[in-house]
Amino acid sequence: MASEALVQLFHVYKQYAGEGPALTDVTLQVGKGEFVFLTGPSGAGKSTLLKLIFAAEPATSGQLLVFGRNVAKIKASQVPALRRAIGVIFQDFKLLPHRTVFENVAFPLEVRGLGPRDVSRKVNAMLRSVGLELKAARFPLSLSGGEQQRVAVARALVGDPALLLADEPTGNLDPDRTLEVMDLIEGAAARGTTVVVATHDRSLLERHQRRVIALEAGRVASDGDAFRRISGS
Amino acid sequence: MALRPLSFVRRALEAMVRGPFMTAVAVGTIFVATFVTGLFAASLSGAERLLGAWAGDVQIAVYLAPGADLGAAARAAEALAGGREVEVVTPSEALRRLKASLGPEAAALEGVGAEVLPASVEVRAPGISLQEARALAGKLAAVPGARDVDFGNAWLEKVELLLSRLRWAGLVLFAALALGTAVLVSNTLRLGVFARRDEIEIMKLVGATDAYVEAPFLIEGVLQGLAGSGLAVVALYALHAILAPRLVSAVGLAAPLLRAQVLPPALVLGLLGGGAALGLVASALAVGRYLRKP
Repeated sequence: MASEALVQLFHVYKQYAGEGPALTDVTLQVGKGEFVFLTGPSGAGKSTLLKLIFAAEPATSGQLLVFGRNVAKIKASQVPALRRAIGVIFQDFKLLPHRTVFENVAFPLEVRGLGPRDVSRKVNAMLRSVGLELKAARFPLSLSGGEQQRVAVARALVGDPALLLADEPTGNLDPDRTLEVMDLIEGAAARGTTVVVATHDRSLLERHQRRVIALEAGRVASDGDAFRRISGS
Repeated sequence: MALRPLSFVRRALEAMVRGPFMTAVAVGTIFVATFVTGLFAASLSGAERLLGAWAGDVQIAVYLAPGADLGAAARAAEALAGGREVEVVTPSEALRRLKASLGPEAAALEGVGAEVLPASVEVRAPGISLQEARALAGKLAAVPGARDVDFGNAWLEKVELLLSRLRWAGLVLFAALALGTAVLVSNTLRLGVFARRDEIEIMKLVGATDAYVEAPFLIEGVLQGLAGSGLAVVALYALHAILAPRLVSAVGLAAPLLRAQVLPPALVLGLLGGGAALGLVASALAVGRYLRKP
C-alpha cells in the first residue's frame, strides 16, 4: 500500500432509512496512486462505498477522509469542489441525453469555469484517446452501449482527476469493449491517478493483478494484494 | 468558478425549446395573471381619465339668501374665483331656465312666481379637477349673502369614492393573483424541473454548484414571465384598439380614451416587470427543493 493515504475510512457505518445496514464497521485506506478493485456480490455495499467517497450519500457514523478532508463533516457548499477533484464512472453511464458527446465530456470542464478554447482542446484530445473523435456531434442515445461507456470514461478523465471511482465500468460491455475501457482506466492509473474500481467481474480481477478489497454483506471480508489471495486459485 | 451568463441563457432557451408544453403552460398562466391585472388597472386608469374630463366641465352655483346684494355677491365671487367667468342668475332667469329644461311639462309651472327660486351666482371653471372644484366651492361659501354652494357634481364625488375603493380592491386582487400565479407557475415549473431531475443530478455529481444548476432555471423563469406578460400587453393593446372607439361612440363620451392614458408606459413596464418577477420567484421555488438534495 502506498504511504500517503488519499481515501481513509474508519469504522464507517451506512444504513438507508427502512433498510438493513449497507456498510458495517468498514475501515480501509487507499493510497495515492494506488489501483484498487472493490469486489463482492450484488448488495455487498460496493456502490454505497463509492457514493460515500464522493459525498453522494452521508455516512451514518464513522470517519471518512478524502484528500485529508473529513467528508462526514463537510459543508454542503464544499461538496462541489470535492467532486470536481474526483472522476466518477457510473454503471448506468449517467450521460445527458440532450447534449452531444462533446458537450457531455466538456461538462465537468465548463463546471470548473474553463474557457471555451481550453475546453475544446482538452475534450478533443480526450475524445481522440477514447476513439470517439468522429462521434463528437452525436447524441448519447444514438451510440452503442460500449460507446456510451467510453463517453462516460472520457467525462470522468477529462479533468485529470486525482481520484477515479468506477462503478461496474464494464458491466454492460462485451469482452472487447471491456478491454478497451480497462485500458483507458489503466492509462489513467499509469499517469498517477488513484483508481477504485467496483466490480463483481472475476475475470477483471484475474487479468489485472491489483489490490482487491472484498465486501460481503457490508463488511470488509478480505483485503489483499491480488485476486489469487482471496480466491485461493 | 466562472459563471457564463450567455451560456446560461443558451441553456435556458434550449430547455424551453425541448419542453414546449411546459413552456406554453407557464407562459399561459403568467399571461392570464398579468392580463387580468392589466385589464383591471387599465379600466381604472380609463375611468379616472373620464372622471377628470367630466369634472373639468364643472359649474359652481352660489345660492343667495332673499334680499342679498347681487352686485356685491358677483364681485366677491369674481375675486374668490380668481378671474373665472361669473354670471348672475336672477330668480326670473332661473325660472326661465327651469321652464326651458322642462319643455312640454313647463305648463305645470303656470302660476308659479319667480320669487320662489333663489337668486344665484354661477362660476364656470372649465378644466379644473374634482379636488380643485371642491376647494373653490368651499371658498365661494364666503360670498356675502351665500346660503348654499353647489358644484353640481356630487355624483362625481361618489364615482371618485368608488374608484378609490376599486384602487384598493385592485391592489388586493393583484396581490392575490400574484400569490396564486406564483404557486401555480411554481407547480408547473416544478413538473419541468422534475422532468429534468436526472440532468440536475448529473450536474451536481460532476461538481456543479447550486448556482450553476439554478441559473438557467431562473433565466428560463424570467423569460417565460416576460413572454407571458409581453403577450398580455399585446392583448391589452389589441383590446383597447377594438373597444375604445366603440365605447366612445356608443356612450357618447366627451373624452377620447387614448392608449397612452389608459395603458400608460408605467403600467406596461409594471406588467412586464411583474411578469418577469413572477417567473423568477416561481422558478426559484420550483428548483430550490431539488438543490437541497445531496
